[in-house]
Amino acid sequence: MRSDTTPAIQLVGLQKNFGSTVAVDNLDLEIRQGEFFSMLGPSGSGKTTVLRLIAGFETVSAGQVFLDGQDVTKSAPFDRDVNTVFQDYALFPHMNVIENVAYGLRVRGVGKAERLAAANEALATVQLSALATRKPSELSGGQRQRVALARAIVVRPKVLLLDEPLGALDLKLREQMQIELKDLQRKLGITFIFVTHDQEEALTLSDRVAVFNNGRIEQLGTPRQLYEEPASAFVAGFVGTSNIFATTEAKALVGATSAVSIRPERLQLTKTASVDAGAMSLPGRVTEVIYLGAAARVIVSCQGIPITVLYQFEAGPTPERDSEVFVTLRQADLVSLGN
Amino acid sequence: MAKKLGARSRPDTGLSSARLVSSYLFPRPKTRLALLLAAPVTWLVLIYIVALVALLVTAFWSVDSFTGEIHMTWSLDNLKQVFTQALYRTVTFRTVGIALLVTVIDLLVALPIAFFMAKIAKARSQRIMVILILMPLWASYLVKAYAWRSVLSHDGILQWLLQPFGLGTPGYGLAGIVITQAYIWLPYVILPIFAGLERVSNTLLEASSDLGAKSLTTIRLVVAPLLLPAIIAASIFSFSLTLGDYITVNIVGGPNQMLGNLVYTNVGAANNLPLASAIALVPVAIMFAYLALVRKTGALENL
Repeated sequence: MRSDTTPAIQLVGLQKNFGSTVAVDNLDLEIRQGEFFSMLGPSGSGKTTVLRLIAGFETVSAGQVFLDGQDVTKSAPFDRDVNTVFQDYALFPHMNVIENVAYGLRVRGVGKAERLAAANEALATVQLSALATRKPSELSGGQRQRVALARAIVVRPKVLLLDEPLGALDLKLREQMQIELKDLQRKLGITFIFVTHDQEEALTLSDRVAVFNNGRIEQLGTPRQLYEEPASAFVAGFVGTSNIFATTEAKALVGATSAVSIRPERLQLTKTASVDAGAMSLPGRVTEVIYLGAAARVIVSCQGIPITVLYQFEAGPTPERDSEVFVTLRQADLVSLGN
Repeated sequence: MAKKLGARSRPDTGLSSARLVSSYLFPRPKTRLALLLAAPVTWLVLIYIVALVALLVTAFWSVDSFTGEIHMTWSLDNLKQVFTQALYRTVTFRTVGIALLVTVIDLLVALPIAFFMAKIAKARSQRIMVILILMPLWASYLVKAYAWRSVLSHDGILQWLLQPFGLGTPGYGLAGIVITQAYIWLPYVILPIFAGLERVSNTLLEASSDLGAKSLTTIRLVVAPLLLPAIIAASIFSFSLTLGDYITVNIVGGPNQMLGNLVYTNVGAANNLPLASAIALVPVAIMFAYLALVRKTGALENL
């Protein structure tokens, strides 16, 4: 019945209203088998609500949810073959680590010896075997995170839902967990749906990313597509840093007919105007130089419009504040944002 | 300029007596602790422990049946009487039975109400329900007991309501006591359970359901173990409050007596304070036994 072309998750006309607030607005989305899929957006953009609708914690206002080709719109969470890693981990405080991990098997009626063996294996996968008899209150944040992961994967769900799972960890630990998550997903081969507001996290981890805004998907694509060809000013601004020029500014600066964006690293500072074909140079004055270590962020005012340039030090002498420079760009690097 | 700033950032010292006291106490944590605890500890020792010890001691004295004067000589006669005479045994079992029944009824009523308040009701209706549950506590205990007397009477509202179904009011007796006590102590049972349920986070219930547990399994494996300390606290309220009651019994109990009535008659009409003390030790002993049992089950370890 199911083949590899059946989407792991298919959302059709999904709608969720809380009173008069529209949290998810007529959403269509297909998530492929074995994909690391991220839902990226600011808080209140509807991404967590979509996750909760897939898990079954919320009921839809309209539309359908298909899991592996089957309509689960009306199914209870315990009848859906998906599992969630919660933002606050939601470990059972009265059970120790191994009991927490074995819980999903216990409620399915798996025998004690068998479920403990499976739980131990899952704990080994997240490198926590040594802490099996600890209570959750005796663990650090990173360790709790791993227990929550082990508890969710021990029942072999078709899809794993992760709700900002790294949000509460500090930067170093977060980077380490990102690598482990990606590793785990490759090893298990199951579909991961990852909710985050951290664009860098979404870009580094995902096969595909959906950028959410106001209950809708602004753009869906690979990290590279989102970064290099943002479809709207919102995406250009939310994913990485961009110079975004509204239509009037774009017209004045580069003669474009619609709003455009360009990444700071695609701009160069030159002492003279470029004469290359396909290139153009805008005269301006340096207003700010921010040292970043490997590079500097230089802000140049061109016709009163601030333009951010990522300046690599090997590309010539450091620009001085108030010096007159040219911002040189290739017209092919300009991304039209429509209107 | 510098002088002016200095004067502003460091206000005059030595002028205010509150400041003098504060700076005296600041480096003396033990004195501070003593001041903080002096009043409550005095209260506890004088009013609570001394009274309890006096009760214990009095139980070993006796009364001259002719003059009615208390003899302060040690004897086990009172305790022997309480433990051997059929009257006291019957009343003790009756009292414990009523207290248990009241506790069970209150728990059965309180659990769904508390669950609704903590997990289903919206913030606004939750506030309204808390107020509604606290409201009966503003009325006097006596007023409530007499209200039930009128409800339970043979021309009362209960009779009128049940008559069409071929039933009638239970009247004044053990059933009346249980109903009235269950009503009066209900808020004391709902509130701890409500507070306990509020501490069981919703994501724990979601996680359990997410991992495949149906509602009853979630209640058994997640809610019940986490709620047990609150349920025990609630049961201690209804159980011990019923155990010591004697007013409701007089008002809606018909001819029945509970331990409290025996204490009351021995203090008053019979003028036998030592025997009253001996009887009063029975509920104290029962509560100690109950608490020891609770401790032994380890239910309080998850607090």
